[in-house]
Amino acid sequence: MSAIELSSLSKFYGNQRGIDGVSFAVKKGEIFGFIGPNGAGKSTTIRTLMGLLAATSGKATIMGMDTSVEGARIREKIGYLPSEVDYYSDMSSRELLLYHAAIYKVGDAAHKIQELATYFQLELDRPIDDLSYGNKKKCAIIQSVLHDPEVLILDEPTGGLDPLMQNRFFELLERLNKKGVTIFFSSHVLSEIQRMCDRAAIIRAGKITAVEDITTLLSKQMKTVRLVTNSVNNMVLPEGALNHHQSGQKHTFDYVGPTQDLIVWLNSQAIIDVTLSEPDLESIFMNYYQS
Amino acid sequence: MNSVIFKKELKRNRKNTAIWSAILVGFTALILSIFPSFSEMGEEMAKLMSSLPEEYAKALGMDEETWSSIIGYYGTYYGIYITLLMGIFTASTGATIIGKEERDGTAEFLLTRPISRGSIAATKLGVLGTLFVIVYGIQMLAAVIGLLIFGEEVNWSVFIAMHVHGFFLVGFFTASGVFMSSFLSPKLNYMGPVVGLIFGSYFLNAISMATEKVSWLGYISPYHYLNLTAKNGVLELNLITCFGASVVTAILLWISFKRYLSRDIVG
Repeated sequence: MSAIELSSLSKFYGNQRGIDGVSFAVKKGEIFGFIGPNGAGKSTTIRTLMGLLAATSGKATIMGMDTSVEGARIREKIGYLPSEVDYYSDMSSRELLLYHAAIYKVGDAAHKIQELATYFQLELDRPIDDLSYGNKKKCAIIQSVLHDPEVLILDEPTGGLDPLMQNRFFELLERLNKKGVTIFFSSHVLSEIQRMCDRAAIIRAGKITAVEDITTLLSKQMKTVRLVTNSVNNMVLPEGALNHHQSGQKHTFDYVGPTQDLIVWLNSQAIIDVTLSEPDLESIFMNYYQS
Repeated sequence: MNSVIFKKELKRNRKNTAIWSAILVGFTALILSIFPSFSEMGEEMAKLMSSLPEEYAKALGMDEETWSSIIGYYGTYYGIYITLLMGIFTASTGATIIGKEERDGTAEFLLTRPISRGSIAATKLGVLGTLFVIVYGIQMLAAVIGLLIFGEEVNWSVFIAMHVHGFFLVGFFTASGVFMSSFLSPKLNYMGPVVGLIFGSYFLNAISMATEKVSWLGYISPYHYLNLTAKNGVLELNLITCFGASVVTAILLWISFKRYLSRDIVG
C-alpha cells in the first residue's frame, strides 16, 4: 500500500484549470519531492489532498483511505505545513500550539512544544501577530510535527527561514524519515528537492510531466554558467551549451550534460571567474523536455 | 461537536457578547426607569397620543396602553429597539462565525485538523446558539428585574408571549445571517446586509400596519407573524407561528450546513 496515491485527480474552477489528471504514488517511508513553477498546481494538488478543495474528478488516498470520505481519520495521521501561514491573531505561539495539541490529544504537549521551540529558537509567548514571517513558519513547522504524524505534507516549507533554520529543519526531517515518517515535499526550489528527496514528481500547467528518481533528474538538469575569461576571443563551447551570450570577456550560457564534463571543459579554459547557478524553473522544464 | 473548538470559540466571542449584552441591559434599564415619569403624566400622554396621526401610532404599535401600563410601554420599545439590536448582534455573528475563518486565513489551519467539516460547522452553530441564548437570557432577566422595580402591576402572560415571539424572531434573523454567509463571499462586510434585512423587515411591517392599502406588505415580514406589541393590553402566544418560524429557521440552518460541507475553502 502506498502512503499517498493520486489517480487522475482533477480540479477545475468552472472552465479554469487547477490540476488536470494528476497521478502518482508516494511509497511508505519515502521523501517524495513535488516540484513545479509558481502556478503549476502544487498547492491546488495539496489543498485537494487535504480536503480543502473538492476534486472535480479522480481519487486520492492517504494510507489507503479515500480523502473525500475519511478526511478526519486521515488527518489524525498527517502533519501539514501550508505555504501561507495564517493563525489566530489573538493567540501567542504557545496558545496556538497547545490548542493544536488539545485537538490531537497530544500527551506531555507543554514539554514537547518547549523542546521544539528551543530547537527552532522560537519565542513562544509573543502574540502571533507580532511574529515575523520566518517565526510564523517555525510555529507552523512545530505544529506540523508535534503530534508525531505518520505522513508529513509540506507545501513550500522553507519560505521565510534563514539558512541556519533551513538546515535545522532539514535535519529534523531526516530524523523523522529515519523513524519511518513519509514526507511529501513540495517546492519550486530544485536544490531543496535534490538534497531531501529520493524521487520527485514534476508538475507543469496542472499536469504531471514526469515522476523521476533524483539521480535521473540531476543527469538532465540544466545549469547556467557565467564566465569571465582573460581575453575577448571567441571560445569553443562545451557540448550541451545553449543560449550563449558574450559581452567582451563575459560569457553566459546554459549547460545540459554531465557535470564532470563541464568541469573538465572549465579546466581547459583561461578563466578569471566562474559562477554556476540554477536557471529559473521554467527554463529547466523547457530544456528538460526538449532533451 | 468538538469541545476544544467550542471552548475556544466561546472565549473568542466573549468580549463582543459582553459589549452587546451591556448595551441591551443598559437600554432595557433606561426605558423601564423612565416609565414612572410617563405614567405620572397620565392624561397628558393620552392627549398626546390622540394628537398623533393614527397611521403613525399604528406603525409604531402604540395605543393608550402604551403609556398606562408598563408592559404596553415595554412592548413598544421591545418591538422597535430591543429585537433590532439583538437581531443585529446575533445575525452579524451568525454571518461571520464560520466565514471569519476564511476571511482571516485561519480556515486552512482549522480544516486540516482531524475533525470533520460537519463537526466544525455543528460546533460553530452550537457556539452561535449559546451566544444567542446568553444575550437573550441576560436581556430578559434585566427586563424582569426592571419590570419588578418600576412596574406596579405586570401582566406576565403578555411578557412571556412577547419574549417567546421575540425568541423565534431573533432566531430567524440569526439563521438568515448564517444562510447569507453560506452563499456570499466570506470577505464581505455583513453588517450592512444584516442591518438592511432586520430594519427592512421591521419597516415593511410598520408600513403595512399604518395603512390598509399596503397591508399585504406585512406578509413578507417576520414581524407580521411574530407579533411583539400588545393591543389594548392583550397579546396571545401564537404557538403555530412559533412552530412555523422554527421550521423556517431549521431549514435555513440545514441548507447552510450542507453547503459548508461541500464548499471549496478560500485559502
